Amino acid sequence: MELDEFRTSLDAWLDQNTTTLAPDPGATGTLDGQMAQLSRVKRLTYEDGWMRWGWPRRVGGLGGSALLRAYLGEALTSRDLVEPGIYSMTEVLAPTMIDYAPPELAAQMVPRLLSGDETWCQGFSEPGTGSNLAALSCRARLDGDVWRVTGQKVWTSLAQYADRCVLLTRTGTPDSAHRGITALFVDMDSPGITVRPIETMHGLPEFSEVFFDEVAVPVDRTLGAEGQGWSVAMDLLPFERSTALWHRAAYLHRQFQRLLDAVPPDALDPDDVGEVHQLLYALRARSRATQYRLDAGERLGPETSIDKVLVATAEQALFDLVAEGLGPDLTVADDPASDLWRREFLYSRAATIYGGTAEIQRNIIARRLLDLGSDR
Amino acid sequence: MMDPEERQLFTRSLRHADESHAGMALDLALDELGWHKALTVDPHTAVSVLFELQGTVNTSSSALGAVLGSALGVDPSPAVGVILPAAGEWRPPGEIDQAGLSVRGLGPVALVESPTTVIVTGSAGGLRAVEASTAALTLRPVHGLDPDGGLVEVTGRGVAFGAEREVPAEQWAQAIALGRLALGHELVGAARAMLELARGHALERIQFGQPIGAFQAVRHRLADTLVAIEAADASLNAAWEERTSQSAAMAKALAGRGARVAARHCQQVLAGIGFTTEHPLHRYVRRVVVLDQLLGAGRTLTRELGAELIATRLLPDLLPL
Repeated sequence: MELDEFRTSLDAWLDQNTTTLAPDPGATGTLDGQMAQLSRVKRLTYEDGWMRWGWPRRVGGLGGSALLRAYLGEALTSRDLVEPGIYSMTEVLAPTMIDYAPPELAAQMVPRLLSGDETWCQGFSEPGTGSNLAALSCRARLDGDVWRVTGQKVWTSLAQYADRCVLLTRTGTPDSAHRGITALFVDMDSPGITVRPIETMHGLPEFSEVFFDEVAVPVDRTLGAEGQGWSVAMDLLPFERSTALWHRAAYLHRQFQRLLDAVPPDALDPDDVGEVHQLLYALRARSRATQYRLDAGERLGPETSIDKVLVATAEQALFDLVAEGLGPDLTVADDPASDLWRREFLYSRAATIYGGTAEIQRNIIARRLLDLGSDR
Repeated sequence: MMDPEERQLFTRSLRHADESHAGMALDLALDELGWHKALTVDPHTAVSVLFELQGTVNTSSSALGAVLGSALGVDPSPAVGVILPAAGEWRPPGEIDQAGLSVRGLGPVALVESPTTVIVTGSAGGLRAVEASTAALTLRPVHGLDPDGGLVEVTGRGVAFGAEREVPAEQWAQAIALGRLALGHELVGAARAMLELARGHALERIQFGQPIGAFQAVRHRLADTLVAIEAADASLNAAWEERTSQSAAMAKALAGRGARVAARHCQQVLAGIGFTTEHPLHRYVRRVVVLDQLLGAGRTLTRELGAELIATRLLPDLLPL
């Protein structure tokens, strides 16, 4: 399947199925509603094959380029059928399973993620380990044919909905840094796991704290080899900045159009509008080139930090413009539309924090792309 | 289109020409290398490679006039110079009224060697391209902010003109768009050169017992510079695929912004030495301000784009995957 054919036939299918796919009224106002909508869209697109394109056949896919996945997410996002952040979790976690899980485990599990039967989460950050990921301390100890995991994760997106977790654990000595990390694929209903959702500034409890108390994880659920967890994490992170980011760029474009539709006359400064449009154009141009590099089989690496800086900058500039153009609605109106703008405005404040802070991205650029050596 | 090997060879020859020549000598070298031919056969490669190099090396040529000329159907020849719009402008440099032809524009220093000029004029009756004798125009070498910029100011009143033809408005818009892409690449090249100068300094300059490039404040300035440059570069490539006036204007504005970011951060990282004429940075700092002005300043293009979006309330179609 080529991109052009995929685009045309998917668009036609989406046009035909508008009513079946559309979210229930009010559903997108809550995270429960968004998750239900996500599962539904994933199930329908999986059943008709769309969700399977761009993934290898050995994990239930239909083959073809990753460009097909990029376009599917763009089309679903542009039509307001899914919220891009939760939709794109698949783009981050499925490649990790494909590259690092034992083949039969990947073949068994990935279809469940693609079809919307399951939700997965990513257990990386810890209370004492934010930017300095290599210092994580959630401990896994080998006990016969199981790992016993004890420790805590935080900022774990969708943990309260998740059936599985890609978890980074410390299996080396406490000071073994990036060398002593092992990635595990953990069933979230295992005894000893407690999940506590965190109330956020924007009103949706998108992430949780997750506590592990002597949780047994079979050894055959190890992703990659023991001690290879850092590579798993480093290979996963560029995916957050490739296909997932393309979906986010499409979403931002959609929000920009919504702003132009809603804004009162003379409420916006043309300089700011022009600049936001240019930032979104540059983001899309850059991310598009990244999609084609992925398509050509290139291994993505630190250069995707540039894409990440661009998306965070564009997102905050766009929602600063929302605050400029829709000030009264954003601040004092209490209708559903204003609630939505407020939520998105507040969420944009996190764009320079999640997925590696703006500072960490710049550190990566300085060290890996500009070759400035290590920092102080 | 050139294949990668041809492109590499082309780039190497152009780099050699750029590093060895400026002004008219560079024009002749470019012609010998077949650049003018490449401009008609594969404009994307010809323009992007030459102008980025020109920006990196900090040289100048008559190539911008040739780029506009190629869109206007003017045969590339050292004997014919194309007059550029005045600084900050993109309307045609000529005007025809009762007094005859008046001209206010810019040209390359080599213009003095071209017996004939082509001047696009804008009047109520539409756009026309006319030919005039260079000797009938006043050429003032531009000193200004960037004395090495290789520009002359071209003025004239009541100038006699010859061969005349209509220029569809769309053709002029295409010429401007192509010129903006060229300037965008030149800005990117200059910005990359500044980044390389600042990067080298950050690695060599020791303070507090370590290279200043070890300090996060310095590293982040340089990282932001690279982000701004790559954003501009990606936009230029996208604009070449789209070939719309709007995408070319955006790419040029982004390149102007990238060069401003580069100039600000690199000047700061190079600090005292970068403020002297003993160091090459000042040439680039000067050049990018001038390039940003040509064919519409980035800020003007940005404001115009914003005003249009506010008026129509409609975003243009997305750059397709």
